[in-house]
Amino acid sequence: MIEIRDVTRTFAGRGGLLGRASVQALRGVDVTIPDRGAVSLIGESGCGKTTLGRILCGFEQFDGGDVVVDGQSLRELKPRDRVPYFRRVQLIHQDPYSALNPTRTIGQILADPLTLRARHVDADGDWVHRRRAELLGLVGLDPEYVLPRYPHMLSGGMRQRVVIARALTVDPQVLIADEAVSMIDVSLRLGILQLLRDLRDTAGVSVLFITHDVATARYIGDGGELYVIYRGMVVEHGSTETVIQQAAHPYTQSLLSAIPVLRGIEEPGPHRVVPTGPLDERVESPGCLFEPRCPFATVDCRTGVPALTRRGDTRQLHACLHPEHRSVVAVPVAGPAA
Amino acid sequence: MAAGAKAAQSQPAQSQPAQSRTGEHLEGSAAVRVRDLTVAFRTPEGLLPAISGVSIDLARGQITGLVGESGSGKSTLALTLLNAVPDPGQVTSGSVTVDGIGDVLALQGKNLRRVRGASIGYVFQASQNSLNPLKPVGKQLLDLARSHGVGDLRGLVREARSLLDDMGMNAERVLASYQHELSGGMRQRVGIAFALVLNAHVVILDEPTTALDMLTQSSVLEIIKKVHARRHLTTLIISHDLAVIGDLADRVAVMYAGRIVEDGPTQQVLASPRHPYTRGLLTAMPRIAGDIGEARSLPGRPPDLSSIPRAGCVFRPRCPLATEACAAAEPPVTVTGEHLFACFVAAKDLS
Amino acid sequence: MTISSLALSPEQLHQALQRSRQRSTRRWRLFVSTPGRIAASVVIVAFTLMAIVGPYLYPKNLPIDTRNIYAGPSLAHPLGTDFEGTDVLALLVTGSRYVLFAAAIAAVITFGTGTVAGLTAGYYPRLAGSSIMRVADFVLAVPGLPVLIVLLTIWQFGSPLAMGFVMGIFGWGGIARAVRAQTLSLRERGFVEAARGLGLPGRRIIFTELLPNLAPYIGMNLMLALPAFIYTEVGLFFLGVVPYTTSNWGVMLNNAVFQAGALTSTRALSYLLSPLICILLITISLVTLANAVDEFFNPRLRRI
Repeated sequence: MIEIRDVTRTFAGRGGLLGRASVQALRGVDVTIPDRGAVSLIGESGCGKTTLGRILCGFEQFDGGDVVVDGQSLRELKPRDRVPYFRRVQLIHQDPYSALNPTRTIGQILADPLTLRARHVDADGDWVHRRRAELLGLVGLDPEYVLPRYPHMLSGGMRQRVVIARALTVDPQVLIADEAVSMIDVSLRLGILQLLRDLRDTAGVSVLFITHDVATARYIGDGGELYVIYRGMVVEHGSTETVIQQAAHPYTQSLLSAIPVLRGIEEPGPHRVVPTGPLDERVESPGCLFEPRCPFATVDCRTGVPALTRRGDTRQLHACLHPEHRSVVAVPVAGPAA
Repeated sequence: MAAGAKAAQSQPAQSQPAQSRTGEHLEGSAAVRVRDLTVAFRTPEGLLPAISGVSIDLARGQITGLVGESGSGKSTLALTLLNAVPDPGQVTSGSVTVDGIGDVLALQGKNLRRVRGASIGYVFQASQNSLNPLKPVGKQLLDLARSHGVGDLRGLVREARSLLDDMGMNAERVLASYQHELSGGMRQRVGIAFALVLNAHVVILDEPTTALDMLTQSSVLEIIKKVHARRHLTTLIISHDLAVIGDLADRVAVMYAGRIVEDGPTQQVLASPRHPYTRGLLTAMPRIAGDIGEARSLPGRPPDLSSIPRAGCVFRPRCPLATEACAAAEPPVTVTGEHLFACFVAAKDLS
Repeated sequence: MTISSLALSPEQLHQALQRSRQRSTRRWRLFVSTPGRIAASVVIVAFTLMAIVGPYLYPKNLPIDTRNIYAGPSLAHPLGTDFEGTDVLALLVTGSRYVLFAAAIAAVITFGTGTVAGLTAGYYPRLAGSSIMRVADFVLAVPGLPVLIVLLTIWQFGSPLAMGFVMGIFGWGGIARAVRAQTLSLRERGFVEAARGLGLPGRRIIFTELLPNLAPYIGMNLMLALPAFIYTEVGLFFLGVVPYTTSNWGVMLNNAVFQAGALTSTRALSYLLSPLICILLITISLVTLANAVDEFFNPRLRRI
């Protein structure tokens, strides 16, 4: 189990010609990733979700709070334990095109980490080859086809599967999929999402799915939890379907309202939440961060920062002074005719 | 459109690499008429078609959506409408007739340049950095105006300012900014403004919201709708995202491997898709509504230039309904009212 | 649009896999893919052979014939003779070794040192970066040619090793800078980050992930640097600042111009032109093949 406890991260300002003030990327985020679990982080670019993913992998520092992996705290980690610690968390990038070394074959790419691992496991000469074929099978690729090829000879979907196979070579605990299907053709996305879902059982990994496309978060499997992040803060959290169907925070509702509706087989929900004001300006607010853009903001929203509060006796949490459920999600109409 | 009449031919056509669709099924009054267009690229393996025998109409005043994945040829088609196919591509057959201009493919040089921008506007993807990084946006606007010989520069700038304001941006600030100082959403809106400022009546938007966040995408789509209505444009939107097209377009054409496999009013195509690819796409799309258990992925993957099947239906390798007839020849176009598709099996089902 | 694999049947796949092992040598065909490249490759191979084997074909002391000085081309002496009546062709062949070896050694030292320095500085920017770059900047700033000339007053470059070493040692600064810049940017690429996340050791990453991606740049620049080194040493010999103990092309030029007055009369024209044309041929050939080297290391040209 991975617990992210009250993590904060501030990027120092550049000042000077570009005159940018320091940016608070994460403002005390709490996320729990259970074993074999599926957690989605939803938010727009700049909300800190990618930073959080990178902190978990060790590619980014953090300022406050702590990350605890199976009881082992990241803060108290000794430098020589860093590499084995972070090996347990593997990142699947958005871009399958740059995630593989173009000068090496898939066979070589997979053999590298496996050869390293073979020394730890009591391996015989053939272990690397067997394990390689095993992992490729696990991600739905034909070893004979894929092994002698170079990355540019494979499609985006296949490359992403190779990336996942490579991540599995070190027996990780968590796979962090950061916009892992955004650059893949639509007809191939479901395959990757279902693969991530299945790996929770077949490889015992948990999946942290980072995306701005809420719809894809539904497909990484049962028991999934959703965290909605706005400017470095969790504003809503609960089980995936509950948050989607019963969102109570206006920001979540605006995200869901923004999803295009497939007219003909879907109807827009009865409500629609649109943030006010210009989209591109970051206005600091003493109170609720979303208040400058919230169509339902009241005076008290400007004074106090709402904490994450539980909603009734459900497991759902939201950070809003006036949470209200609004049906914004599209509703399916008659399905596709046979 | 001949209501209810089917123009399906019962005998299979000869199996040639490019099945000609002469577009007899389309009327002649649309603002942009593409007829039997084939664009091929010179590769080490020979001359390979990126789009093959494509016929489509862009009805005046309507938003038409073009949906396709990688390798479908949608971007090539878009560029061909401007006669801007890059080397090593070339148009090997067909015509693109625009109201008031004639066949765009027959234009060259100065005449062509005059048409681009002034009659047909093209909006690139926000992520494609189609703005000059070394000049402020305002200066590029003036460059655009001057190269089109616009006399009233002040009027044009005023027009641009009102467009940008309309789109919810601070026009003064944007015109003074460099490309890197603007966010993706802002760049996209600037691109739309550029395409409209010369009063083009046909506008092509290539992946206008790819790489944009949900909220930004939503606002850009609203702007497109608004601008389209206000200026009575003929709009073509190209996207790999069927949801974007589904929300915005009046008509949708689905492209696969360089051919149009289905074409019709959006609601009709989405509610009753005829072509197995369209159906497969709808079932394989991650959606916010509906039962996730019903989703099924499409087997295989979209072909690229060199792996498009040379004989028979191009979708056959991935099609769950493929029959022997599908291997022999490319399916002809079947028309039912405003809805047309190219599939042997679906055509048979109808009768 | 990337060209991904062709749709093949299982039998074809099996055959393809077998053929792929043979086809990995197909890359070498890049060097003979156009008529220009064929000619260039022939020239380079010919000169390499000349440098290695040539001197063995002639006696250590070339015969002189004082009755036949500065002769023009003839059957006995296809390229004429020099100030002592020695055959120019013989001079060319025996002189080639010094010129080409020194250039090759200089290239190896420059690119070897520069690449190692640049890779280390780029991959470990905090640990080693700034110190290595200070040294590289110093080397870059040192005016190579004048320093060489000064050094020559103390040290005689009788052997190509010495000449090559000195040229090389002053040349690696620029390469280090360029390689470091590329390393810094490559470092951020997805596959390098993934390698770090997988726990692969730094040395491993440098050799298997970074170096192959730098190979096109390094290879191409090496091809273009060789002519530069040839010019440098030939130039030094031509200027007469190097006390020569062996005859080589630069010395031939020096003799032709300053002793035979070849620039002001048609006397000893072939003596002057022969080394010049050799240098020209080598330069053109290397430049022609530079593109081929770039393509050679480019993985996207590999097809199964």
